[in-house]
Amino acid sequence: MDSSTASILTEVFFETLGYWYIIIPTIFLGLIVGGIPGFSAANTIIILMPLTLALDLQSGLVFMISLYCAARMGAGIPAILVNIPGTAGAAATPLDGYPMAKQGKGQQALAISFVASCIGGLLTTIIALAAMPILARVGFYMHSVEMIVVMLFGISLIASIAAQDMVKGLIAGFLGLMIGSIGTDVVYATPRGTFGFLELYDGVPLIPALVGLFAVSEAFVIIEKRVIVNHDGEPKAPNWGDTFEGVKIALSRWVHIVWTSIIGLVIGVIPGAGASIASFVAYQQSRSFSKTPELYGTGHPEGLIAPESANNGVTSGTLVPLLVLGIPGGATAAIMLVVMQFHGVSFGPSLFENQPKVGYGMFMAMAVSYVFMFLTILPLSRYMSHVTTIPTIYLAPMIISFTLVGGFVPREYMFDMYLALAFGVLGYIARRTGYHVAAILIGVILGPLLEKYFLWSLKKSDGDIMVLFSSTLGNILWVAFAMSIILPIVFGMRRKRKLEVPAE
Amino acid sequence: MSSEHHKPPRQIGGELVIPILSVGFTIYFFMTIWNSPWTAQVSTFLIGGILLFVCAIFFIRCAIWLSRGEGTLGFGNLFTMDDFRTGRIGLLLTTIGYVALIDSLGFTLTTFLFLAVSMLILARGKNAVFITMISAAMALTGWAVFIWAFDTRFPRGWFETTMKAVLANG
Repeated sequence: MDSSTASILTEVFFETLGYWYIIIPTIFLGLIVGGIPGFSAANTIIILMPLTLALDLQSGLVFMISLYCAARMGAGIPAILVNIPGTAGAAATPLDGYPMAKQGKGQQALAISFVASCIGGLLTTIIALAAMPILARVGFYMHSVEMIVVMLFGISLIASIAAQDMVKGLIAGFLGLMIGSIGTDVVYATPRGTFGFLELYDGVPLIPALVGLFAVSEAFVIIEKRVIVNHDGEPKAPNWGDTFEGVKIALSRWVHIVWTSIIGLVIGVIPGAGASIASFVAYQQSRSFSKTPELYGTGHPEGLIAPESANNGVTSGTLVPLLVLGIPGGATAAIMLVVMQFHGVSFGPSLFENQPKVGYGMFMAMAVSYVFMFLTILPLSRYMSHVTTIPTIYLAPMIISFTLVGGFVPREYMFDMYLALAFGVLGYIARRTGYHVAAILIGVILGPLLEKYFLWSLKKSDGDIMVLFSSTLGNILWVAFAMSIILPIVFGMRRKRKLEVPAE
Repeated sequence: MSSEHHKPPRQIGGELVIPILSVGFTIYFFMTIWNSPWTAQVSTFLIGGILLFVCAIFFIRCAIWLSRGEGTLGFGNLFTMDDFRTGRIGLLLTTIGYVALIDSLGFTLTTFLFLAVSMLILARGKNAVFITMISAAMALTGWAVFIWAFDTRFPRGWFETTMKAVLANG
């Protein structure tokens, strides 16, 4: 980085700080829209498009970026407190976040999530800035074959979730994959398993599936208890102790935050991949190489850190192909592209020569947003965690009504509300009979993507299955995938042997 | 060991619901792609085949449990009389009503009715005034934020139309 770039970065950083009056309210707006399933940064920017277009370029950019980051973080809040991920990107968060909340550690879990999100987001923003030319090329090397392996990294999480009862876990995961296959096939558009509903020709919409499997089914389960927190404990007075404890836990696992956020960054720069894949892959990798994999799913801080830092790593990752190549890495980035083109910004390598303040400004807006988020949201964790002490007779109907309507929002089909209800019944049956709803959801999210890349590979090779092993990068990823499956088994056996030695 | 002998038998009937649904759905899915091009078949035959295989393993496992007397075909883990006592059945019925009525009554009114009725069912009729107030507050907040402020296309009905006219005419 030469001195002129450094001076531009410093100048842009202080300029962005001056937009605090836009950033702070936007952070709260982002937390709300991120926390309600069906809403997201993307559709909120669309709704507020007239406002965004009316603002000057810099203000509009700061607004969009802050909203994007805050919505990503906001999706994790209901995932932790009431087992309802606000977006598919937070679908892996409740695996360990919600058990913590049930143990009365909701405040601690929120603090861990906020620290992991902010550090993960900040760090990946800095890495993205420094390594932009290299990262921008990642998308060129990731073809359908390589993407198949990336998907398999995520899908292998089903096996981890299934660890307690492998057969039931696999049934849930493969049922999810079958449900994910509903819709027309990607090559000839032949309708499959649609029950004659035209609304399913595009596949199963994710938000109604998410709402039903997590929110509706959870609402029907929690009414058995007076409050979400176990032992029907009386609400604790707000205290800083739990927040600081959460911060301490997260900071003591800084290495974990770093490498899982880098997973998010790398997956984020691949156009078409997204936060859901990143968080599943990060969770799976975190569990695979953990010294205590058996604690995952029981309220383990590392199981919460991994998806949260990864999905915030994606946020900066999606900006790289947008700015350097003009290819948006996700839906929100695509909308940003439209807004910026309206303001006459042209993307590509010339952006950093012709309008360096705009290019660097986006990353600086992201960095400043994360700093402000850390300062404003962390103190609120002590109050937010009280959601877990609201009596379930009030909480359950509120969850059902607002999330079901959230299921309607993305496509505005009444059918989607019925679909969310159907998924709710399926989720309830699954929960009551020992099948993991997260395994079903992983299948629904990643199944169609895996099929798409698989078919593209086969089409390109005229049906030759060996195409899966035809690229160098793909083969490296296959080896890494095999290692990530085999090594944890070897480590586990070694740990078991070590534990058995004293007994002998 | 003795505690294991006194363990209640496993309620296999409930556990079989998801595998039976899975098998039924997979067979239906296969029927819809039987005469389709290979691109529509290849991955679903693979996934569906594995699903059928895993379900078969589960059915065999259940048969073994049943033959050993370790389980029954009961549905106690899925439905009990407690579902009436806790208000779960009532909540399910009001939820179905919510989805069915929201298109004609609109978001605000249906949400108010749903919240009030379902909370009253769960609270067994207690705190009726508080529940009515909180339901009205939540429904109105939802209207103010999502429909009035953000102009989200939530289902609209009598209340939303009236409020639009009132606000338009000052």
